[in-house]
Amino acid sequence: MKTRTLIAGTVALLMATALAAPAADQMTAYSSSRGSKIRIEGTANIIHPTWQVESPFIAGMLEVGPGFPTEPGQALTPGKVEARATNVFVQVRSLKSVESNGKLYSDKMDEIMYEHLKVDKYPAIRYRLTELTLKEAPKSKDAPYVLDSKGELAVAGITNTISMPVNVLPLDNKKLKITGSVTLKMSDYKVGPVEPKLLGIGIIKTGDEVKIPFEWMLMQRPLPGAAATK
Amino acid sequence: MNENETNAPDFNRRDFLKGGSVATLMTMLGGVELLAQTNAEPAAAQSAAAGPKVKVALVGLGLWGREILNTLARVPQAELAAICDTYPAAIKRCARDFPNVPSMGDGQTILANQDIPAVVIATPTHRHKDLVLAALKAGKHVYCEAPLAHTMEDARAIALAAKAARQSVFQAGLQARSDPQQYFVLKFIRAGNVGQAVLARAQWHKKTSWHVQSANAEREKELNWRLDKSISLGLVGEVGCHAIDQTAWFLNAKPRAVSGFGSLLVWSDDGRDVPDTVQAAFEFPGGVRLIYDATLGNSFDGAYEMLYGANAAVMFREGKAWMFKEVDSPLFGWEVYAGKDQFYKETGITLVVDASKPKPPAGQVEDPITSTPLFFALQNFVRNAIDVSQAKKSYLEAYGDADPEGLNEHLAKEVQRRPAAGYLEGFQAAVTVIKANEAILSGQRVLIQPELYELS
Repeated sequence: MKTRTLIAGTVALLMATALAAPAADQMTAYSSSRGSKIRIEGTANIIHPTWQVESPFIAGMLEVGPGFPTEPGQALTPGKVEARATNVFVQVRSLKSVESNGKLYSDKMDEIMYEHLKVDKYPAIRYRLTELTLKEAPKSKDAPYVLDSKGELAVAGITNTISMPVNVLPLDNKKLKITGSVTLKMSDYKVGPVEPKLLGIGIIKTGDEVKIPFEWMLMQRPLPGAAATK
Repeated sequence: MNENETNAPDFNRRDFLKGGSVATLMTMLGGVELLAQTNAEPAAAQSAAAGPKVKVALVGLGLWGREILNTLARVPQAELAAICDTYPAAIKRCARDFPNVPSMGDGQTILANQDIPAVVIATPTHRHKDLVLAALKAGKHVYCEAPLAHTMEDARAIALAAKAARQSVFQAGLQARSDPQQYFVLKFIRAGNVGQAVLARAQWHKKTSWHVQSANAEREKELNWRLDKSISLGLVGEVGCHAIDQTAWFLNAKPRAVSGFGSLLVWSDDGRDVPDTVQAAFEFPGGVRLIYDATLGNSFDGAYEMLYGANAAVMFREGKAWMFKEVDSPLFGWEVYAGKDQFYKETGITLVVDASKPKPPAGQVEDPITSTPLFFALQNFVRNAIDVSQAKKSYLEAYGDADPEGLNEHLAKEVQRRPAAGYLEGFQAAVTVIKANEAILSGQRVLIQPELYELS
């Protein structure tokens, strides 16, 4: 009886330890910092064969385990990496249509886009990271680490799983740059086709496929509960 | 703007030519729908998808204030939230046309209202400063009519407060700086098409007294602030600031000195001490001058501005522009197809930003108010206010409020602003006309040292 209680107790303790979050000192936390950029690049049949919208904000936090590159030139083994990013978002109203040189394009196109993204009900495009795997270590100190990511992207109320390679580049001063690009079909999120009638010139139809390159800048932060130094 | 302080004003080719030959050709033809560059969308199309609106209050319901009110009511992104004037009759007059807009007699009530993020100030010039400073302190976006102020001290105070209010939009009421037509002609001029600048001229002629009657002597004095030289910059300030600023903008330079003359010739029997007829000669670097004349005594030929260059002259009149080429200037080729108008013995080639824009279908009349420079200026103010407020909201949502300097930097560098006169342009224009008025009242040549144009 005593032994069984002891064993049960030990098992329970071990399970609790295994299921509990890793100790704070094993995880590194990052929060978004300025300098991020995300673009949605698409096509259309007339007027502007290519279009693009941009936002300078990618918000959210990232928590990573010991297998994740946090310093330049870190020696790491390829494989699964502990990582959590549960509240990454881009405010829909921060997306603005731009010319290819970055100049603002059209308020009206912005409003049409916000309407199609159902901004009043879903003010943000959200992402949740579910899996991260280090594919290879970089060849040089300045080159990024290449990782495979899998996550859930929610746009206009529809959530889909997306997989994409990402480049992670640890920078000086505890900064991090994560870049990547994913190609999606707007119809997978029940968005569009967008057919704006502009100034009576005729019907423009946008293509279904869009490419989303992004650059997410982050900075290390103390984890909640850890010794807080701002 | 690239200021070449030591050389003669040079029409800058670089930025224009960077656009490439096809773009150049298209722009020269004046016919391409300049949706991208100018964002000059017809009002009907705009109201269809206006997007978020911003609540705007208007303080000052005089002659120009009423013009602003009628124009603001047509800006799809603006929601008229309050009108204000110290003069009950002025409020009553406006409330007739806008019965649903709350009105009040005291600007402070508006400034204290947190729900109104933007305010347009169209009070008499000498009353701008207190209201602008209070509005900026209250965190509002501010549109302040031009000239900003009647004294150097007040103009500087306004500009410095605007500079410090980095989370607010400040726009000076130099509406030409928001007009797509002006940008169109500016590009044309910067491409070097008029050649070496020779002379600039501007006039404003209108036979009118400027005098406002009132049964109440105190109210009459207040209403006739323009006629009191202790608080009014007269014609050169109140009217001339626009044409003078436009010339400086197009020449890409600031006057170094100004000489002036003023006389009271027609309206001398109502006790005013402000000249009703003025002339001023502004000296720009390199020997180019602007000759400005304005009178309340005669209406012939109204108002227009001219820029004379060795290859061509450009005339701006009533929102349109024409080029008059010299016989020995090089041919572009497109002149053959361009529209032309006769002016006595001269043929003017039209320079119009939307020459090939489809005309509204029969029966549908385009609202003339929505193509005035004032409309574009107010619309750009409102849109900039919306964009800055939204960017601030997005920033705080994304990064929190721990880094206000980061927010200020983001708003300054990464929020694209629609064309408008900012605090610096407003301040420099005010300096120029304040000095011009000094010259006019003294009949002397007045130097304008370069440091007077600087804001510390």
